[in-house]
Amino acid sequence: MKYNVISYFLLEGFRNLFKNKKSTFSCLGVMCATMLVFGLFFAIGQNVTNMLTTIEDEQGIQVFILPEATDDEIVKFGDELRKIEGVNTVELISKEDAYNQVKQNLGEKESVMDGLDPSIFSTSYLVTLTDLNMNSQVQNQINELDNLKKITSSNEVIENLARIGRGIRIITGTMLVILIVISIFIISNTIKLTVHARRKEISIMKYVGATNGFIRTPFIIEGIIIGLLSGILSILLVGGGYNLIINKIMQSGTAQTLGINILSFGDISGLIVLVYLVLGVGIGILGSSISMKKYLEV
Amino acid sequence: MIEFKNVNKTYSTGTEAVCNANFRIEKGEFAFLVGASGSGKSTLIKLILKEEEPTSGNIIINGKDTTFLKSKRVPYLRRSMGVVFQDFRLLSDKTVYENVAFAMNIVKATPKHIRRQVPMVLSLVGLSGKAKMYPNELSGGEQQRVALARALVNNPSMIIADEPTGNLDPDTAWEIMNLLNEINLRGTTVVIATHAKDIVDKMKKRVIEIEKGVIVRDDKKGGYRK
Repeated sequence: MKYNVISYFLLEGFRNLFKNKKSTFSCLGVMCATMLVFGLFFAIGQNVTNMLTTIEDEQGIQVFILPEATDDEIVKFGDELRKIEGVNTVELISKEDAYNQVKQNLGEKESVMDGLDPSIFSTSYLVTLTDLNMNSQVQNQINELDNLKKITSSNEVIENLARIGRGIRIITGTMLVILIVISIFIISNTIKLTVHARRKEISIMKYVGATNGFIRTPFIIEGIIIGLLSGILSILLVGGGYNLIINKIMQSGTAQTLGINILSFGDISGLIVLVYLVLGVGIGILGSSISMKKYLEV
Repeated sequence: MIEFKNVNKTYSTGTEAVCNANFRIEKGEFAFLVGASGSGKSTLIKLILKEEEPTSGNIIINGKDTTFLKSKRVPYLRRSMGVVFQDFRLLSDKTVYENVAFAMNIVKATPKHIRRQVPMVLSLVGLSGKAKMYPNELSGGEQQRVALARALVNNPSMIIADEPTGNLDPDTAWEIMNLLNEINLRGTTVVIATHAKDIVDKMKKRVIEIEKGVIVRDDKKGGYRK
């Protein structure tokens, strides 16, 4: 009995799809288009976020220690730094390290350093953050530590990066909301056409004693099928398009020269597939429920 | 079986369709509802089907007061009554068999039950040989028989018919009425709203006459006119 009812629902759902080929097709098209636009922003967003995290990792705060601090005090200072919330890694840069670094940076002119002793440099710690947004908070806490000489950090860069990250998240979020609203509207309109075409059947069903749930189910299945199909189609299109573009960029070598690491589709596909399928099904259910409301009265 | 207690129905447009209706149709009865167009016949039928809510009063069906029935329960109420309309209301893209089986699908009947019940009902209405035909290949009378089969297939305790012979020629109309009479003899309550004067006069059944929303006559064995 269960099998009979389920097969009836599925059959009716598919029948609706094929009966209104034109509206099903246009609905699929528009939904795919909105999903693609979202996919585009999502892919760009994911890549920029990825770049930001890479840059974030490189952005450190350099904390210099007073020259009179003993070795024990320096070690203790490092331990204190690690305890601060928001601190990712702490790396000790000894006087010799600093000396060598400067020497290296000078390249051919490194002989300038020959007359200098490493002791003129200060011992320092290079601190990286888990989240750039915590920058000022972490610096405030470092300021309270003993034996601190001074902090240098590229505050402006850090804050700008954090701002770009937030902006992209907001744009992707807005795109998502717009996608949902448009898609619900389109699906509900398509289902409305089928419902309208079958209003006679619906009224007969009501007179024979069909429950609202029974009448509604085939239409909801129709919505789910449309949603799923556009989801799958969009995944294929976005995946194919993305790989094509990535390959072009890789071939041109632009990314390598800029030192940017571009994500492969595999890296972002998990989230995109999830978003597309969940949205497709959810929008399908919501859209068809909305369009059925009017016809189920009486 | 069907009882109206002080039922009033005023539409939101202000039309008083039914005024203080009181009547009782017993189980197994055969009753005609007669009256001119716009007299309130259809509203009475709609009230029985709970397609419309009474403005005041109570409607009791099969011992249950349906006045305050939740809309969720209405489908189950309707399963206890088979409905027949003037315009047949068949699905043109489904065969005769499918049109009848459709009503059983809706109440989630088993395929086995459907395969047994549908041919039985089709033979009852005399359409055994036309199961695979489509409604547009049938005459008006045959189409109404299909509608009747659909109304009967779930074994309702009553048949409600709104002008079932309105679109049929006199001979065919008689065939349908005789069929309804036969169904009634098997114990099903039958309520028919009709204009068919000749038929009502000859069948000598209970007649409830409604005029401008008021029940003016209720004869046990009446004619179309007094």
